[in-house]
Amino acid sequence: MTLAALVLLGSPVFGLLENHCFECHDELTAKGELDLSSLDFSLSETWIKIHDRVESGEMPPPDKATNFSPADRQLLVSELGGLLAKLDRADIAENGRAPIRRLTREEYQNNLRDLLGLPNLDVRDRLPEDRSSHGYTKSAETLDISRVQLAAYLDAAEAALREAAKTASPPKPTKSRAIGKDLFSSLTTFGGREAMFFAKEGKIVSVKADDEPDPEIELAIFRSATWPYFGYPRGFRAKHDGEYRVRFSARAVRQVRDFRLVPAHKPLAMTFRARQPSGPDVSGDVRSTGGWIDVLPEPQIFETTILLKAGETFEYSLLGLPVPHPITSHGGPLYYDFPPMPEGGHRGVAIQWLEVEGPLAPPPAHELLFGQGASEDPGKLFRRFAKLAARGPIPDEAADRFLELISAELREGTEFKEAMIKGYLAFLCSGHFLYLESSDTASRLSHFLWNSRPDELLRSFDEMLDDPRFGRFVRNFTDEWLDLRQLRRDLPDIRLYPEYRKDDYLVESMERETRTFFEAMIRENIPVATLVDSDFVFANDKLASHYDLPPVAGSAMRKVELPDWSPYGGLLTQASILKITSNGTTTSPVIRGAWVMEKLLGDPPPPPPKSVPAIEPDLRGATTIRQLLAQHTADESCANCHARFDPVGFALENFDIMGAWRDRYRSLEKGEKITGIDRAGHAFEFRVGDSISSGGQLLSGEEFADVHELKTVLVAKPRQLARNLLHQFTLYGTGAPVRFSDRPEIEAILDACEPDGFRVRDLLKAFVESSIFLDS
Amino acid sequence: MSLRSKPIDRRRFLRGLGVGLALPALECMGEAASPKKRMLVISNNLGVLPKPFFPTEAGAAYALSPYLNELSEFRDRFTVFSGLSHPAVVGGHSTENCFLTAAKDPTGSGFRNSISLDQFAVEHLGQKTRFPTLNLGVNIDKANRSLSWTRDGALLPAEDRPSALFRRMFVQGDAAEVEKRLHRLEEQGSILDAVTEDMRSFSKRLGAGDRERLDQYFTSVRELEQRLETAGEWERRPKPETDREPPEDIPDKARFFEKFELMLGMAQLALESDSTRIVTLMVDAFATPVFEIGEDERSHTGYHNLSHHGQVEKSVAQLERVDFRQMRLLRQLLEGLAAKDGLLESTMVLYGSNMGDANTHENTNLPILLAGGGFRHGQHLAFDRDRNTPLCNLFVSILQNLGVETDEFGSSESRLTGFERA
Repeated sequence: MTLAALVLLGSPVFGLLENHCFECHDELTAKGELDLSSLDFSLSETWIKIHDRVESGEMPPPDKATNFSPADRQLLVSELGGLLAKLDRADIAENGRAPIRRLTREEYQNNLRDLLGLPNLDVRDRLPEDRSSHGYTKSAETLDISRVQLAAYLDAAEAALREAAKTASPPKPTKSRAIGKDLFSSLTTFGGREAMFFAKEGKIVSVKADDEPDPEIELAIFRSATWPYFGYPRGFRAKHDGEYRVRFSARAVRQVRDFRLVPAHKPLAMTFRARQPSGPDVSGDVRSTGGWIDVLPEPQIFETTILLKAGETFEYSLLGLPVPHPITSHGGPLYYDFPPMPEGGHRGVAIQWLEVEGPLAPPPAHELLFGQGASEDPGKLFRRFAKLAARGPIPDEAADRFLELISAELREGTEFKEAMIKGYLAFLCSGHFLYLESSDTASRLSHFLWNSRPDELLRSFDEMLDDPRFGRFVRNFTDEWLDLRQLRRDLPDIRLYPEYRKDDYLVESMERETRTFFEAMIRENIPVATLVDSDFVFANDKLASHYDLPPVAGSAMRKVELPDWSPYGGLLTQASILKITSNGTTTSPVIRGAWVMEKLLGDPPPPPPKSVPAIEPDLRGATTIRQLLAQHTADESCANCHARFDPVGFALENFDIMGAWRDRYRSLEKGEKITGIDRAGHAFEFRVGDSISSGGQLLSGEEFADVHELKTVLVAKPRQLARNLLHQFTLYGTGAPVRFSDRPEIEAILDACEPDGFRVRDLLKAFVESSIFLDS
Repeated sequence: MSLRSKPIDRRRFLRGLGVGLALPALECMGEAASPKKRMLVISNNLGVLPKPFFPTEAGAAYALSPYLNELSEFRDRFTVFSGLSHPAVVGGHSTENCFLTAAKDPTGSGFRNSISLDQFAVEHLGQKTRFPTLNLGVNIDKANRSLSWTRDGALLPAEDRPSALFRRMFVQGDAAEVEKRLHRLEEQGSILDAVTEDMRSFSKRLGAGDRERLDQYFTSVRELEQRLETAGEWERRPKPETDREPPEDIPDKARFFEKFELMLGMAQLALESDSTRIVTLMVDAFATPVFEIGEDERSHTGYHNLSHHGQVEKSVAQLERVDFRQMRLLRQLLEGLAAKDGLLESTMVLYGSNMGDANTHENTNLPILLAGGGFRHGQHLAFDRDRNTPLCNLFVSILQNLGVETDEFGSSESRLTGFERA
């Protein structure tokens, strides 16, 4: 409908706009490319923006609004808001909050895992990655389906069914035990003796290939698995895919002069990596498995479960040790110089014995598919399967169609199991399984909180949070909301940051910190302001040192209280976030600022202006990042947006590409030269230049001198932080953004949570009980 | 870490000596005498610096620009265009997905993409080769970016692993495996029949908006069925032979140019072996971090950041070296195609970008160059820089040259004037 038509409806909106807004926004002037006189009235982003700008007082601009009384403003906002809300509600009633959507590939795999009872099923990578919109792959508008997607479903579902069928005749587990020289697959390795040797009574012993394994001999290793060459026990190879139990006895040691072992001062974390034993080239599939194990100075027996594919072995991987460059000279073979000995000796682990047993019996997934076998009634089996797979009953005629597929196979003499698989396969590629139906509340709740299908019991909110499947929410939601899945996108530039080279343990620790922190916010029901400033962090040995905190022992994340002076605490100063918002070489206040505004304050940057001609930035002569970005505020069309987020980013300039504190920038070109030898023994040279200035002012007026003060400013906006969190839950949980007509309900939730300081678990609970979630 | 990655023998590879010419009889699939035409589209989503790319004079007597000078030996075998763009495809980096679709306003709410040039061509030409098209990528964010889109706006993911591509093109497997795959295709065919029928009743329970959304499912089934059918026919034929070693993938995004070169080589191999006649290749510079430019040079920041050079000399100079290296890769490609009898004459190599000037997020005046394909080349075809001609006009000329009987595509007004077949 045209705007003028509103007059006929008796609305004062047209008159108010005509009197107070047309001066700048009619067909003649059309400032900001907005011509109100010809803009059709509809439920559009433009009209919502007009409403919001008038409501916030941004429009009409104060200097032009001399005869626009507060009563006018109130009238325009309420009338326009009322019209828009009415249109919005009608649209929701007609079309739903978001169109029907298919499962994401994450959900597809989880549904299959939970349906078939195969917790380690791995079919995700057979499906194309999902697009994301507003940061979320669950957005209904981008969950498209194409022939490529469909072909991938056929492939992935078949792989899953075959995996399940295999469990009918699981392979017999075998057990092997390695001692002495059999604990390592070769007698030497890269890095020479310092990297690995055999020891007896704490002293190096020489071992020959044909020696009998000696139970008195320990394997002592001092390198991580990322140095190639044979870091796995001799002779073992998994015969089948599956879980294997590993038991071993080990102690943390220090290698001191002349290859002597003495007990370590502190634990050393290790893990295993699954890989093909074929050779030194580990460029293929290598996966950490078995979790982190803190090896202690006293020998102790450890037990863990590792996941292997047929043909694979597993190598020892000590975490957090330096990894040197491979060296070649004159085309000769590669070698590594072992890192210089740190004070107190090289850290390492001595292993006394190791047992591996498996594959452990898989869960009996075949029973769901085949029951007792060929004597079963295919119809009964199929209907049971279909009801589970579809997360609810399906019409008889639908079941019959798939059954016909099975019957046709049986008539042709196809073997019972194969015939059933064909029917199941078809069903797993059908709408019943692939699409989430909006009427199904239990399913919506479980796909939100478990990223998968509901189980047969009706669960309360609290029970769902106590379930291990809630871990999928923590992982998947932080992946999408905070971009955590981008954590490994860029490698640190080791010319500038030699200390971070190949420090996988640091990166992994960052990831765990953020997930642990977010989970604690929910489990401990912590007020939302803590998201931006906490007086604690979750840290292990690695992060404590990264954050300049007093040392802690071991790899487990635990709550560590922060001293007052520490700039850390809260998401925006977590190493993971600071790494994600840099590119490995430099940091950008623009990107970091925009991240904070979008992810934490719910104020994403609009797309760059479409105005023609575009602005040609001229940065010649700018030497500091402040000068470089000064143009963002000098030019009005840039400043409109950049003034919202650049300043926030400047407060984070004190953190380097991995989130460690810095007072000055590093570069290769200018500043004082710094040279040295890194912990892996290589010479480095970089320069330390300009000092960092971190002060700024928010668009809303608040000033800050540094990150401490920025956090103080943000902490004072708990309602905005909480509102944003509800918006993020809405995107993730309903597949669509908060609608205009949802706003009152959002504000009502906020009102209800305000007295307790907007605690995060309360917000989550209120959200799943809201009509925004339930009626979507 | 790979300790023994083999250096690629660039000459041998790009000269394409690798492919055996004993190609299977492809002509029995309903194309008799019409000359085969091919198309390879390469797009770098950050484009190139406009100044050293565009020539200053128009017409046949133009002087080669610094970048085009790298292609001087092919001067008569390519045309450079200026003043082309997609109307209303603006919004900076969001436009890369529209380079071959021209769908308007990619940053608007509710934006939905439309069919891309390559898919449009296949719809009209049918599937005459083992792969109707190949859609490749370098450093690509596969989930979110692609040059190839279906008619209903679904993204077709790019292949970014040369090793997988090589397997699909050349590794056949033994007779038993072929038999197994054929059986599987047959099974899948009957499964698709069942699910389509089921979906019809499934969708009846839904509202109008949801039903519309499910159209994609039906399209997917229909298209997949057609493809399974031809896949079955192709499965029975021997794959072409090559003495090229299977390539090793390069996971490290910093080795941008090595990856780019390797993928161009694969594209060439695909055309040479007639595995396909339509290839698209998106070079996702936007997703490229700090990268190696030459022996001793790394970019001083990520590619995207670098492209916002702000006229800073150091950045402009570095970008120029990056662009020059790209142009040299392009020259290698053209040399490789030219060395194969007539392959350059039958292949339209379109090199271009959705970005006219990355420094300003400008999506007009796109850098576009087309080599080969049997056109009358050797000119700078200049259109109005202030009021651009739709790039889709060129796409229509391309489609017609491929043998597609159409006089419109996307936002086209006509075929491109002044650009004729030789």
